[in-house]
Amino acid sequence: MTGTSDDNRLAGKGRPLWTRRRLGIAALAAALTFGPLAAWAQTQIYDARTKKWVNYDKKKARQYFARNNQPPEAFRRQVVPFRTAEKPGTIIIDGNQHFLYLVQPGGQAIRYGIGVGREGFGWAGIVRVGRTAEWPTWTPPAEMVARDPNAAKWAAGMPGGPDNPLGARALYLYEGDQDTIYRIHGTVEPWTIGLDVSSGCIRMNNDDVIDLHSRIEIGAKVIVLMQGAALYKGV
Amino acid sequence: MNEGISRMKGLVLALAALAAVSGCQSQPKPEDMARTSLQTAPADLQLLCAHAAAGAAQVDSSKVLPTSSRALDAANYSVDLDAAGRKFTCIVDTAGSVKSVTPAG
Repeated sequence: MTGTSDDNRLAGKGRPLWTRRRLGIAALAAALTFGPLAAWAQTQIYDARTKKWVNYDKKKARQYFARNNQPPEAFRRQVVPFRTAEKPGTIIIDGNQHFLYLVQPGGQAIRYGIGVGREGFGWAGIVRVGRTAEWPTWTPPAEMVARDPNAAKWAAGMPGGPDNPLGARALYLYEGDQDTIYRIHGTVEPWTIGLDVSSGCIRMNNDDVIDLHSRIEIGAKVIVLMQGAALYKGV
Repeated sequence: MNEGISRMKGLVLALAALAAVSGCQSQPKPEDMARTSLQTAPADLQLLCAHAAAGAAQVDSSKVLPTSSRALDAANYSVDLDAAGRKFTCIVDTAGSVKSVTPAG
């Protein structure tokens, strides 16, 4: 099975030129429109030692992970109350808060921490899980192959494994019968959970994406909420 | 003398209780120790609004998407929605009660 990376999305691999241009224009327009809003949004975590909310950026995230070998508690897998009319098995992604919810019976959901698209690459919509893969193959886009010798050796596809950027599992998101080229996938950079780092894919810790993968069914509804999104899918 | 010691003990206990209560109030629960400066509405409240807007717009709920939200005060959120191209604004409280759904603009 072939996985597709965040960077494949950037390259618009396999898409007609007009579609790529349209996506590019939409992303640019959204970045210009929502840029100041997105730049203003800042993830913060509560520092129990100083009793203050502090900005949670890449540097802070790396430091936290180096000390604790896991993300802050809010971004760890947990069951939370969740009032919804959506049926159990529905996935709801809150891109702004960096949470993915899997709806459970009885007014509850399993909440996982996620990393999402960086400024200008966020998207929102209602899609579904079209297919899944275990330890998916990652194929770097042509642009990356051209500039990065490390990527060049994987031009034909990097086999799944612990060093693969897609991590342990990938859930391929479809709009109707069309692959959106967005995925929910694992990561080799677990400290990025809670940050805006990707090119539009939803990244999770490998343990979490394995857990999610074991609980969902193909066809599961996926609602992506993202204020200031660059693109809308399926609505 | 004994009465004075009793009063002192009572005062210490009262202060300890007050400190415990104020500590609980000022520090969020571990699962709430992350937030965004955007202060968007919780996802479940946004979707409760979407469900209510689907009824108001008479469209399938799969065609209603929250597009933005904000806290109005400590107990209420405003949620902007796109219902198959029509814009709505919804007010929902933190208990999950939808207060209103009105066409935007």
